[in-house]
Amino acid sequence: MHTSRFLGGGQRRDHLILLALMLAALCVPGVLNRGLVFIAGMVWINAVFGLSFNLLFGLSGVLSFGQAMFFAAGAYAAAVLTQQMAVPFVAALLLAALVGAVLAALVGVVALRRSEGVYFAILTLAFAELLHLLIANTAFLGRNDGLAGLARPSLGFGSWRVDLAAGDNFYYFIVLACGLLIAFIRWIVDTPFGRALQAIKQDPERAEFLGIPVRLHRLVIFVLAGATTAAAGALIAPWAQIVTPELAHWSNSTNPILYTLLGGSAYFWGPVLGAVVLSAVFYLTRTLVGMSDMVTGLLLLVVVVSLPGGILGLLARWTRPAPAVRARVAIETEGSR
Amino acid sequence: MQAADIVTLLVNSLTWAMATFLVAAGLTLVFGTLHILNFSHGGFFMIGAYAAYSIADALGGSGSMAVYLFGSLAAGVLVALLGLVVDRLVLRRLAGVEDAYVLIATYALLLVCEGSTKLLWGLNYHSVMPPAVLDGAWIAGNAVLPKLSLFIVAAGVVVFVGLEYFLNRTGPGRLVKAIAADPWMARLLGVNVRLVYTATVAIGFALAGLAGGLLVSNQTLSPTLASAFVIQAFGVIIIGGMGSISGAFLGAILLGLIDAFGQWVLPGLPGLPFFVAMTLILLLRPQGLMGKAKH
Repeated sequence: MHTSRFLGGGQRRDHLILLALMLAALCVPGVLNRGLVFIAGMVWINAVFGLSFNLLFGLSGVLSFGQAMFFAAGAYAAAVLTQQMAVPFVAALLLAALVGAVLAALVGVVALRRSEGVYFAILTLAFAELLHLLIANTAFLGRNDGLAGLARPSLGFGSWRVDLAAGDNFYYFIVLACGLLIAFIRWIVDTPFGRALQAIKQDPERAEFLGIPVRLHRLVIFVLAGATTAAAGALIAPWAQIVTPELAHWSNSTNPILYTLLGGSAYFWGPVLGAVVLSAVFYLTRTLVGMSDMVTGLLLLVVVVSLPGGILGLLARWTRPAPAVRARVAIETEGSR
Repeated sequence: MQAADIVTLLVNSLTWAMATFLVAAGLTLVFGTLHILNFSHGGFFMIGAYAAYSIADALGGSGSMAVYLFGSLAAGVLVALLGLVVDRLVLRRLAGVEDAYVLIATYALLLVCEGSTKLLWGLNYHSVMPPAVLDGAWIAGNAVLPKLSLFIVAAGVVVFVGLEYFLNRTGPGRLVKAIAADPWMARLLGVNVRLVYTATVAIGFALAGLAGGLLVSNQTLSPTLASAFVIQAFGVIIIGGMGSISGAFLGAILLGLIDAFGQWVLPGLPGLPFFVAMTLILLLRPQGLMGKAKH
């Protein structure tokens, strides 16, 4: 029922799609108001959050219910580094990704060794809640209030300076940074390592027999996803200008799951489409308390129960009636004759 | 630490334990039989609590014990009916779906529960007074024993004994256990497995609703109730061994003690001992204290 192969276009086609999306995103501030530009920036960040999750779920068959811990770690790392230690923003961004990678390595080494499937999901959830509690009770991280009033940085290279606080500059920076992160994630999928992960997802035992170090590969992808997730989190700190412990709450871990399943976990662009659609749902239902949960939950139920390919799976079914199924029907009718 | 403090601490941790067990009992029953880890269990527990609150309100307040008990039972019946709907529309279609997708589907149900609660009852916090009989406390020496706490502990024990009696000493209960052990063989022997699954879901959901009604005056009602309790219940059934009622009972007591004494040692970090214990058990003994090694 579920497509086991990870479906992207060719790498060149996906690069063109990415470029088109970035160009379209650059027009957003010219057309839409500031509130919607803010949401557009959040959609880019969430798209990276979702794509990072799908490196684990769609590509490698690992379900984590604790990705918020890396997102929050990146956000807090960026906030502390820029605000309290005056580290330049781009350096803080890279360091935040490193924090995410180290945290993922620590969690992954113990969690992937001991558990699989639902147990791994609950274990990652428990680890994320541990981090949530630690953040909410640590004085220099602002406890439950978080860190507020984060300034948007300026970038400097020699004599050339850009003030990212001015106008929509930080939005453009987000589009650029997320574009690079997405290109990086797309690159991982196509490497021999990415192919090996697809083999592991289909049949871990057989992959092991073929000489693929299953546990090591899972750990490496967990670390990479932790790094890209933390980088996305680092971008949210100056964009929202506040970080709160809620970023580490387990309900935030479910966001990339929602994006991915809704868009289609078997497709590279699934989480991106899911992030766009869910942001639209949130925006359209913002005045009616509870409606967004209701709509999100029902959409997700429909996807899991009767539409496991997500929206992209549905589109693929419409545009291309599956030839394999027809062939099978033909064989079956022939057989019955 | 004086004897009175220890008694207070024990009463608090046992109250926490039995409140969590009341929620976890249905969760572990459904997992043990249908092998579905139901995220939405906390959502239906919350709906039970809100329903009991509304019923008590309609009957003129929660002052009388009769109204409190009637409201709890009515909430149990109502949530059991919801369970039948959920079974029909969702759970039946999850047979043969990968575990990961099942977990996500029940999370989607939790979102629907939270959304409906917010739409029906709003975001405001409600607090419900316990019935007059249970208001106040007994004083034993220097120790204070709130009557409501003792009632919740008693309710937890009654539900535990009742469930164990049902599963081990009655025909239908043994059928549930048989199907949990081997649905294929049960079907061969002519058991209507589908019907028993549906009945198990109804019982599990009824327990969630009943727990909601019984705990309504122990908690502040808010839409965050579901996610808070479902994680606690997850912890309890993981420690005890998923699918085991007695495991959940002992796991609840153990986690209650760990949490209470942990907070006494580390007052600055509430909740931390709970998650540390849960993480350690998952790492060291994923089948839980009472579970059989399966994974």
